[in-house]
Amino acid sequence: MEEESPPPPSDLPSPNPNSPRDPALQKKHQAMLDRLTNRHQSRQKTTSTTTDSTSSFLSTFTDSKRSIESQLTNSPSTTDPTLLKSHLASISSSISSLEKLVAESSYSLPSYELRSSLKSIENLKQSLENLNSQLLPKKKFSFRNKSTNKSNHENSNSIQIPSNPENSNPIPTQIPLSIRDSPGIRNKENQNLTKNFKNFKEIGEFTLSDLDSCEVKLIGCVNALFVNKLRNCRVYTGPVIGSVLIEEVENCVFVLASHQIRIHYAKSCEFYLRVRSRPIIEDCEGAKFAPYCLRYEGIEEDLREAGLEEENENWGYVDDFKWLRAVKSPNWSVLEENERIESVEIEDSGSAEMEVESEGV
Amino acid sequence: MGLLSIIRKIKRKEKEMRILMVGLDNSGKTTIVLKINGEDTSVISPTLGFNIKTLSYQKYTLNIWDVGGQRTIRSYWRNYFEQTDGLVWVVDSSDLRRLDDCKMELDNLLKEERLSGASLLIFANKQDIKGALTPEEIAKVLNLENMDKTRHWKIVGCSAYTGEGLLEGFDWLVQDIASRIYMLD
Repeated sequence: MEEESPPPPSDLPSPNPNSPRDPALQKKHQAMLDRLTNRHQSRQKTTSTTTDSTSSFLSTFTDSKRSIESQLTNSPSTTDPTLLKSHLASISSSISSLEKLVAESSYSLPSYELRSSLKSIENLKQSLENLNSQLLPKKKFSFRNKSTNKSNHENSNSIQIPSNPENSNPIPTQIPLSIRDSPGIRNKENQNLTKNFKNFKEIGEFTLSDLDSCEVKLIGCVNALFVNKLRNCRVYTGPVIGSVLIEEVENCVFVLASHQIRIHYAKSCEFYLRVRSRPIIEDCEGAKFAPYCLRYEGIEEDLREAGLEEENENWGYVDDFKWLRAVKSPNWSVLEENERIESVEIEDSGSAEMEVESEGV
Repeated sequence: MGLLSIIRKIKRKEKEMRILMVGLDNSGKTTIVLKINGEDTSVISPTLGFNIKTLSYQKYTLNIWDVGGQRTIRSYWRNYFEQTDGLVWVVDSSDLRRLDDCKMELDNLLKEERLSGASLLIFANKQDIKGALTPEEIAKVLNLENMDKTRHWKIVGCSAYTGEGLLEGFDWLVQDIASRIYMLD
């Protein structure tokens, strides 16, 4: 190491006696000299003054910790997942460079400082993880799987209804493309909702999601119906030309007509159905079935248009994908006649449709 | 069995293609198969198990395995992977909520070694439904551009209900398999 210490300046010009006045070369020499003295000084400093280095480490550490914390709290208020991801990645890289700094200084640091800075890094990582799961939620159905477990019988929160409307549609943050919302009714509580499709041609799909204690009436035909996260609701719909997909519903009554009906994760629900093919259930319990019983002005015509004018008794032939045995599934039953609701008559009141926000219809 | 009959059998087999149809439940796999085979599609039950359809297509015989997509039976898909020449992944383009499920299941499928040589056709089905995502949007969501470079793939918008796009998709699939396996003999 000693040989790197700067040689006496007087020695330096001697190897180049040919061009002592060359300005470029002189400049170079000067730079080298500076470099060497700098290096010498800095080496002296680090070896001699550990207290200085500790305090300088602490100030650097605190500064970058503060900047990371401010990054963590001031995350962009966007739902664009690529932006969010790059934001999270930059935080993550700052944390790891901070960690590196601690690791590099660990030799010279007093053990208390070392421990406390490691602890702070741990905390930063934890908050980053929290932020990550908050901004970019994981796959949804890990949660859905849980909801089928028997752990949630009474006051279960298996079907959570987010009170915060920003959380209502987590899909855009999961997928690298902002997906537009399909027409539908979402995030309502204790409401009477009526939607009339009679005057619309080409309805397309319709979604009912995150409803609690609502009564929903859909008059007229739609092509596809998606039902997701309903609790204590009553849903009466006109014919669905394509298929109905129901997921995560509890204590609800459905009166539906469709070509295909798939029911997933339903608990204690009644289904009054008319289906062209057999309805299927998967991960359900306490599902009860009865024939379709809806009336409104012009329903016969709608049913005919959808090819659903005939009652074929399929409502009573349910296939349970969780029960592939010859004996009948315990997860569903036919609703006793004396327990069935009487035929439901709904009014075609044109004014009521104003209650429903419906993008795109 | 005589040698000649064995040879004949092998000869005949050469023109066979094994095609596996998979996708989430309610995506329209069975409807696509029935529609392309010219059958009635008005009453179709959700598939419990699988259906096999053998049909002649151009000069080839397609064995189409249409496997149910309900969550419970997705774990059985792997029983059908062996010797698959073509993989058809069907997407319900109107089911925006479950697109992440759809992406995850497809990603899992493409990791499967036994399917690594299979041509991949993605049907963005239900284009007839208003509000359905376009094939381009579906491709973006499924991140198809970043797929393994060795995979032959194509995405086609279709409607099993009207039949639109089905032939275009199968034409590509059969041509792609043929050029790979039979070297366009």
